[in-house]
Amino acid sequence: MAADPTTRTLIAPAQLRRGRGRILYWTVLTVVVVVFTLVFLGPLYWMVTGALKSGQEIAQTPPSLFPHDPQPGNYVDAWTNLDLAKLLFNTFYYATGAVLFQLVFDTAAAYALSKLRPVLGGLILAMMLATLMIPAMVLIVPQYVTVIDLPVVHLNLLDSPFAIWLPLVANAFNIFLLKRFFDSIPDDLMAAAVVDGASPLRTLWSIVLPMSRPILGVVAIFAVTAVWKDFLWPKLVMPSPETRTVSVGIYAFAGGTPMNVVIAASVIAAIPTVVLFLIFQRNIMSGLTTGGLKG
Amino acid sequence: MALTAAPGATRRPGRPTPSPQPTPARRAGRGRRVRDNLTGHTFLVGALVCFAVFSWYPMVRGVVMSFQRTRRGETTWVGWDNYARIIADPSFWTAWKNTFVFTGLALVLGYAVPFLVAILLNELRHATGYLRVLVYLPVMLPPASALFLFKFYAYDPSGAGLFNAVLTALGLPTSEWMQSPTMTMPAMVLASTWMNMGGAVLIYLAALQNVPGELYEAAELDGAGLWRRIVHVTVPQTRLILALLAMLQIVATMQLFIEPLILANGAGTQDSATSVAYLIYQHGFFQNDLNGAAALGVIMLVVLAGFSAVYLRLTARQD
Amino acid sequence: MSVPQYRKAAALTLAAGLGLSLAACSTKSDDSSDAGGKVTITVDCQPVGAQKELLKNWNDDVAAFQQQNPDIVVKSVSVGEQCNNPPDFTARLAGGTVTDVFYGYMTDLTQVLDSGQAMDITDYATRDTIPTWDSVDPALKEVFTDGGKLYGVPVKNYSMGLIYNKALFQRAGLDPATPPKTWPEVRAAAKKISALGGGIAGYSEYSAGNTGGWHFTALLYSQGGQVLTADGKKADVNNPAGRQVLQNLRDMRHGDDSMGSRQLLQWGDLLTNAGAGKVGMFIGAPDATQAIVTQFQGRYQDWAMGPLPGQDGPATATLGGGEGYFFKKGLSPEQVRAGLKWIAFQKLTPGKGQFDYVRAKPQNYPVGLPQPLLFAAGSDAQKQELDLRKANANVDTANFAAFEANPVPIKGEPRNAQAIYAVLDAAMSGVLTNPNANIDALLTTAEGKINQLLAADS
Repeated sequence: MAADPTTRTLIAPAQLRRGRGRILYWTVLTVVVVVFTLVFLGPLYWMVTGALKSGQEIAQTPPSLFPHDPQPGNYVDAWTNLDLAKLLFNTFYYATGAVLFQLVFDTAAAYALSKLRPVLGGLILAMMLATLMIPAMVLIVPQYVTVIDLPVVHLNLLDSPFAIWLPLVANAFNIFLLKRFFDSIPDDLMAAAVVDGASPLRTLWSIVLPMSRPILGVVAIFAVTAVWKDFLWPKLVMPSPETRTVSVGIYAFAGGTPMNVVIAASVIAAIPTVVLFLIFQRNIMSGLTTGGLKG
Repeated sequence: MALTAAPGATRRPGRPTPSPQPTPARRAGRGRRVRDNLTGHTFLVGALVCFAVFSWYPMVRGVVMSFQRTRRGETTWVGWDNYARIIADPSFWTAWKNTFVFTGLALVLGYAVPFLVAILLNELRHATGYLRVLVYLPVMLPPASALFLFKFYAYDPSGAGLFNAVLTALGLPTSEWMQSPTMTMPAMVLASTWMNMGGAVLIYLAALQNVPGELYEAAELDGAGLWRRIVHVTVPQTRLILALLAMLQIVATMQLFIEPLILANGAGTQDSATSVAYLIYQHGFFQNDLNGAAALGVIMLVVLAGFSAVYLRLTARQD
Repeated sequence: MSVPQYRKAAALTLAAGLGLSLAACSTKSDDSSDAGGKVTITVDCQPVGAQKELLKNWNDDVAAFQQQNPDIVVKSVSVGEQCNNPPDFTARLAGGTVTDVFYGYMTDLTQVLDSGQAMDITDYATRDTIPTWDSVDPALKEVFTDGGKLYGVPVKNYSMGLIYNKALFQRAGLDPATPPKTWPEVRAAAKKISALGGGIAGYSEYSAGNTGGWHFTALLYSQGGQVLTADGKKADVNNPAGRQVLQNLRDMRHGDDSMGSRQLLQWGDLLTNAGAGKVGMFIGAPDATQAIVTQFQGRYQDWAMGPLPGQDGPATATLGGGEGYFFKKGLSPEQVRAGLKWIAFQKLTPGKGQFDYVRAKPQNYPVGLPQPLLFAAGSDAQKQELDLRKANANVDTANFAAFEANPVPIKGEPRNAQAIYAVLDAAMSGVLTNPNANIDALLTTAEGKINQLLAADS
């Protein structure tokens, strides 16, 4: 894709292949590669090596580029004391559940709003979209007391993964994305199926969903990112050390731990996600590129 | 399985139209419409319940709570007391000021920079995969980890800090970063942009790839330079996604919380890091005042509603 | 799949979901007694896995206790490194997820009462359930009493002094056996210690996460001041005593530059630096040394403690505080009695639980600290505890001799402590980070905020 000569962007490809343009292009490319490496990889190098330094070395002026007396014990301490395996498992478990719940419920809802259009559908969509402008922080207190004591059924969802999964289903942005995508699928395609007597569920499953893979991928990526990035909500609804997410666990841990060990824990916590990302990066990138996020 | 052949077939639209049906079919039509509605709502029910319980109901509940006070396990109506108490808190206006400053700075840095980076990356023909992975890498860190990295290493106020070491090496004056009231906000925006921009860059890149190349060619033939091509082709062609991300960005930055909590241990130097979201947390969970926190939440809701009204007005006018 | 089938499937899914969540919730529902007539209680503040020895001690105690009381089952819950991290504690209280018997600070009584979770245990706390009850310091019982009713049992009590690094004293040419007795002496010593260089702070102080306000209170007590007026209705910080506190800090921080450049510290930050040998002096309770060693990679032999300094002589008063266990509302009388017996066994019996000094001696936990001061002076339990402690000391008690030999009157924490501490953090961070901070303005702001807090609360 990168070398595709037919893709015309801001600057004409021909311009970049000639004399001055070429020199300029290679200069810019080199600068960008160097600067980006420093800006995005540099801090990570600092993190990995910093966690190997002793408390004394960290406080030294100017900071040392390499750890003079590496302390791999910091990593061992971080792994054993923080129970990182458990934290990582929790986070991935919540993320997986969030993906499933959002895919099932939000897809069904968007499909209904786009294709089945039941009575009051328009009003429901408007009410959902209205929540787009309401940040989670505004509702954090009433949402929290709701989760403690669910209306009608009087269940307490604290420390239960449902406290993370269900509120995430109420995601107007996903429904908006999905509905927009479904809107672009011609009704004619489904008409035939309906005449053949297929139920709406069957139509959704066999016709709509296979066409919607890219957008489903986008929703899944957003769901994982939301769980991964969220902090205050899991901190509140998962108060037990056994149910914490990585981010909350590291924060709680930081209060009573030397900082080189905290950083070591951060490094270890980042490894599985970075590896997963590197494995799936092509899919993630193409998902975001083709998935309905058009201008 | 009979469905596999369907795409090629063209028959009449199967979805019942709301137009009047011939008399004989009337009864069946109505029954069918009821059934279709039922099916539609069945598909909606999961999301609907979640919205109702975790979004709409808490909104009402928040308003109700903001007029109540719970003491010794008993809840009483207290009128506007909670609002009066929250507004009288000397940190109240500081928190709003800080939040707006952060939102504004984040719009300049966190919004414009990813767009420019995306334009730049879209022009490069080499190392594209590597560069994209780099930009997205910080998003992979748990947010707490990324912020501890900044707190402990980059923003260390002594000469042992990474930023100060670089500044010293360049012969520039050093800063106390999070300990300096004037640097607190820029430092938080910087950290926040670094750890969050990857997502925005990828979304912009996706949008840029859908800009038709002919438009650039046509503009070039008209003698438009690089800058004018960006302004007159790139921006209008990606307007929808730009507008959407602007809104999401503002809503997200208004919730500024984890950055002050970790980078500034909460309030920072004399409230220089206190955000509205942090104040909600402080009242609700440090000061044992969930009702006051709910009132502050309602105030934030009103401010955002006002903001979104303006936003909708502006975007509507553009169309 | 036809529509009715689909709905059936949906109903099944929902039912399965609810069932799962029910299962998730059932772990903490209070099943007070099972078929065998046993009483079950849940207790929090079990040490976390990282504190291996403490955790083993706790579990051994539970086993021994259950053997002694075959009709009681103790279920332990760990709530993190810090058993009471204020926001988490609030969340548990509001969420009703506190254990049957739950840990709290002495200052938490109001909050526990407000949450409606407090259980009146006046009639249960007797010599029958807690054999040493009559020896427990009455002042501590008073802290957990409201309107004549007792709501908690004290299990730890401390008072603050000046903790200092003997090794750094030695290197700076100071006498490690004679800690500074006044704030001017602290300032002089801090100057010498920080002159050692290498990022060493002569004196270190908190200014974030409510710990700044906590220490401001202690420093104010040392100057003869108080945070609230005697009737508890107004702030009492904007006065010469308060100004002196901030002035001392400003002189050290900006005048002498003897407090290091890293500020906005909270509990763990300061102790991390202390563990790395970068802190000469700070104020704290004796067990801060334990945290430095067990959590922050420090060494016992480096640390010693003197009494809290005053401005011109000994401190007028020092800050005292402590911890206890509350009981959740709605427990059966059997559960309350079981809970009290457990606390008596683990926390209030010389030679057992936290006072099992024979067990603690070979472990990496200090025996010989002048703490926890639970029993009234001259009571039987106090004598027993003291003898055992002396016999099994594994830290040099001489390190704490100066602290013990010069007792300073203890003053408790103010009402609404955490909210007030949050306000006072700003005064501390102001003076420690801004060389041009206006002390009067800082105190006026703090006074206004505290008064407003108190007015809203009454």
